[in-house]
Order: sequence, then C-alpha cells, then structure tokens
Amino acid sequence: MPPAQERLDATFAALADPTRRAIVARLAQGDATVNELAAPFEMTLPAISKHLKMLERSGLISRTRQAQFRPCHLERAVLDGAVEWIEEHRRVWTERFDKLDAHLHDIQADPAEDEERT
Amino acid sequence: MSGNQQTAPGELDFTRVFDAPRELVFRCMIDPGHLTHFWGPVGVSAPVERIRVDPRPGGVFETVMVNDADGSEYPTQATYLEVTEPERLVWREEYSGMTVTATFADLGGAQTEVRIHQVNVPEPFRRPEAQAGFLTSLDRFAAYLGQLRGTNAS
Repeated sequence: MPPAQERLDATFAALADPTRRAIVARLAQGDATVNELAAPFEMTLPAISKHLKMLERSGLISRTRQAQFRPCHLERAVLDGAVEWIEEHRRVWTERFDKLDAHLHDIQADPAEDEERT
Repeated sequence: MSGNQQTAPGELDFTRVFDAPRELVFRCMIDPGHLTHFWGPVGVSAPVERIRVDPRPGGVFETVMVNDADGSEYPTQATYLEVTEPERLVWREEYSGMTVTATFADLGGAQTEVRIHQVNVPEPFRRPEAQAGFLTSLDRFAAYLGQLRGTNAS
C-alpha cells in the first residue's frame, strides 16, 4: 500500500471518533491547549490526552515542544488529503454518470445503436 | 507494507436521476457492452474486452481503466455481494476493501434515481452492530470535512 494511502487510513481512523472530530473542529478555529480542548467534554484530562495522541500519530495535529502549555495545532494539509480522497471519488462518479446519461440518451434515441456500439 | 486488509473509513454518497427506465439503467451497470461506454471518467477508457461481469453473489466484477493520454492502466477486481435486479447492486473491491452499494429507484415517467453509497470500513467496524453506529457517525462526512476546510485558521 502506498504511503499516501496509509496516511489516509490513519486520518480516517482518527476522524472515525466523534470526540476527535469535535477536537479537530475546534482546532480549525485556531490553536488551543489541552485544557481548552477538554473544557466542552465531560472527560478527564487523561482521556482527552489519549485522543490527542491518536490525532498526533495520524499527523492531523501537532504540538509545540518548547512552550509549557504545548498548544495543539491543526495540520490542514493532512485534513485536506482526507477531503481530497472524498472529492476524487465524487469526481469519478460525476464523470462516469455524465457519460452514462449520454449513453442512455443515445441508446434510447436509436436502440439499434446499442448493438452496433458493443 | 501492511497489505490489502488495511482500509480507511472514507464514505461517499452520490445520487443522480436518469431519463431512462430502471431495468435499462440497471442493465447498463452489469453489461460490459454498456459499461465500456461510461465506466472510465473523463480521459479514461474502459475497454469492453477487459471487463468481466458475473452478476450474482460471489461473482466477479473486473474492469481495467486505461488513461487515454499515457496508456497507464488501473485494474480493479471486485466481487458482487448482492445482485437484486433491478433494485440493488453491492460489490466489494479486493484491493481497497471498499464496498459500493448502488440502489435503483423507479421514479415513474421513465425516470430512475441511482444512489451510490461507497464505504471504506476498517476491520473492527465490520461486525453489523458496530457498522450501524459507525456509518451513522460518518453520515455527511464529506460535507463536514469540506466545511472544516473552508474555515479560516487564526
């Protein structure tokens, strides 16, 4: 499996959890500390930290090493990769169905053409 | 290399209405003579002699898409999980582990709505009870991600 595919798998796996998606949504508005991220959830800090570690492993977020509160940062390029996967498949189906639409018009306008063209 | 088992929980929902009776639209999706006309997206061909379709559960669904510009090939091997003419087709791609469900709804007046539901489900979620919850949680996933991407970073 190509590395890009593995990265995508990790991204989608990380995003498969509602808490982690909420964290990503919060970080889309700007960097935040663990305490700030934990505030909306009825979860212990260790529980939140576990989610953050998984997000960090997937590459979706990064954390500053030097600062004391180590704010979390959303890596937009990684998120974009996930969106692009979906958009790419949507494009294929759009173009495929554009062609099917034209093909259906052709064969219904002239049913004999169906046999000729196959 | 983690092999073919690893899959991603991406999800895609796609709907299109065609001006054709349901039986005909369904036939287009399982007949190589029809598939060759539309299976490749723009700039990509799907040669009829390289399409294999055995429309029954466990039967093969194989295509090779050829890039018109440079001749590069994208073979896809899939297995049908369900074939209910003319309502529903489900196939699973071997390499990606992706499952595609095509649902054909007769809208009357010789119009047919086709809904494509494409899912990459990771192994732990494949048990039916887990899958139901997983799919619900990923509902409108694409729209959601697109929305996030549209948000400006501060």
